[in-house]
Amino acid sequence: MERDAPMVALPFLHKRSYTLSLYLNRLIAFLLLLIAVACSQEKKQPTGEEVVLQDGLGREVRLPQPPKRVMAFASSMTEMLFAVCDTASIVGRTQQCDYPAEVYSKPIVNNYPVDFEQVLALKPDLIFTIEGMTPLDVAARLEELGIPVYYQKYRTVEDIFEGIEDIGRIMGRQQQASQLADSLRRQVQVIENRYKQQAQKQRVLAITWSDPIYVYGQNTILTDQLRILGAENAVQEVFDQPYPALTREYILKMNPDILLGGSIERLEKEFFSLYPELRKIDAYRNKRIYAPTGNLIERPGPRVVESIVELQGFLYP
Amino acid sequence: MSRALYFLVAFVLILAALLLGLQVGSFEADLATIGQAFTQYDPDNNTHYAIVHLRLPRLLLALVVGASLAFCGYLMQAMVNNGLADPYLLGTASGASLGAVIVFFGFVEMTVAGIYMPPVFALAGAFVVTLVVVILGYRKRQLIPAQLLLAGIAISSLMTAVVGLLTFLSDSEGKLKSVIFWSMGSFERASWTVLPYPATALLVALLLFAFLQKQLNILLLGADRAQALGVPVAQTRWAILATVSIVTGFAVATSGPIGFVGLIIPHVTRGLMGTTGRSNLLFCAFVGGFFMLLCDLLSRILYPPAGLPIGIITSFFGVPFFVYLLSRKNYKFSS
Repeated sequence: MERDAPMVALPFLHKRSYTLSLYLNRLIAFLLLLIAVACSQEKKQPTGEEVVLQDGLGREVRLPQPPKRVMAFASSMTEMLFAVCDTASIVGRTQQCDYPAEVYSKPIVNNYPVDFEQVLALKPDLIFTIEGMTPLDVAARLEELGIPVYYQKYRTVEDIFEGIEDIGRIMGRQQQASQLADSLRRQVQVIENRYKQQAQKQRVLAITWSDPIYVYGQNTILTDQLRILGAENAVQEVFDQPYPALTREYILKMNPDILLGGSIERLEKEFFSLYPELRKIDAYRNKRIYAPTGNLIERPGPRVVESIVELQGFLYP
Repeated sequence: MSRALYFLVAFVLILAALLLGLQVGSFEADLATIGQAFTQYDPDNNTHYAIVHLRLPRLLLALVVGASLAFCGYLMQAMVNNGLADPYLLGTASGASLGAVIVFFGFVEMTVAGIYMPPVFALAGAFVVTLVVVILGYRKRQLIPAQLLLAGIAISSLMTAVVGLLTFLSDSEGKLKSVIFWSMGSFERASWTVLPYPATALLVALLLFAFLQKQLNILLLGADRAQALGVPVAQTRWAILATVSIVTGFAVATSGPIGFVGLIIPHVTRGLMGTTGRSNLLFCAFVGGFFMLLCDLLSRILYPPAGLPIGIITSFFGVPFFVYLLSRKNYKFSS
């Protein structure tokens, strides 16, 4: 009996115990069964409705049928879903989602670290997310659990509008999506035309954190928003990170005209008291310091035009 | 080489590193500009301003902190008579981390009365934790080095766990970045208002131990023999303890817990000058300062503009050298 046991491969166990070998036998049989089940599931016949998508990262995303129940792992995309989809098809929100007000009726799913059990409980057909928000290994894990993940990425304001249309196509709501995107495009066009002839471009530095100093880099949407407004991101150098850390000296050299990141009083207390050397920059001397609304400037969603209008108010008071 | 020559070389190297360091930054600055910045300082010239108010204090802080850590490392190794000791053994680093993290995570206002709180709380944390460790290492009215070591390790682990818990529960990415950035060390906050604290602590300590170097060397023979040779062992230990906790406390509070310098530089010193050299302590401070300057320079050249975290550089360049030193046959910790 013992000779037939698979544990011959484990010679150090050879004379140990009969029960252990029996246990191992059963365990292996069980594992084989599991693998067989898993394989058979993967070979499930396509229903003919299968949807194959290519997402913003060039990944192939396969869905057995068009998605009916979806959610987003980024608050900007939750806003997009609410703007484009039937509210009933949105099954959850992340802990940061706070717009529009209807989000509060949806159950919370922790998106980082991902609460896999809660995701499974809600069983969405598809999860939308943006590049950098959800690690690829988390997406792979979710796909193993049968929930595909669709990434979008944006470099410009126009990319966001295309993202909205993309969601419309996937969710079968092309009309709503393109109406929304076109209306947003027209609003942007009006603003852009107005500031096209701006002779002197104001240079804007937006900080996200003060110790260390992290700022909006060249490859963020803000750069495009500022371009539309006839201004420019003071950070002209392109760094690997979207939000690079900078030194005092670097900022002193940039000498931005406008500083975004908080009210004058707040930055005086939390930023300039820490880096008194930076009181030499023009933005401080001319009191051109403003506090953009956090959930507007940070979110590449349908309210990006609202964000541009807010910035317009800071740039051209 | 004679001792004087070693000192001369170290001094020249430090000067060279300072001059080189003054040229690295966002503003272009050659030696002539640097000369001008000091001789004909123009407050409206931003390049001058950057050299005098940003680069110089930063370099001097690196020098002071490197020297402080190396110096304290040497003292600790002599006190516990063990080459594994470093200045953070008393829990200074973990206590300081906890102090800073408490502020970063919003349990205390970031600025109180115009003073930036993380360094203040880091200093307080360092002192409180050191005090606890010393109380635990104190038995029968004397300090027992082995017990001190164990207490230090235990309390440090506890502090690290608390920091880990707070970090895990953190609700914002920005706070995490602050903590990570802080825990790897940085001289970016250096300024003329910060510099005097660690510098004064170091200078006073160097002066004090200029008279105690002999006792320190005898201490390496073991407590009993040192006592028999007339060294007041208990008092010397207290002096070391107080010095290390204050000097390291200021270094960590201003620049974060930069690792490895306090461990390897004392070994380098003994490797060059012999185990019981008469000016080992002072030389150790010189070498530590120079090493830190070099690391700061490298960090900013390799990864402009922000610079790689200094703690990463110290390990990257310190470890190979340390390994080389260990593999040398004629190097021993004590005579």
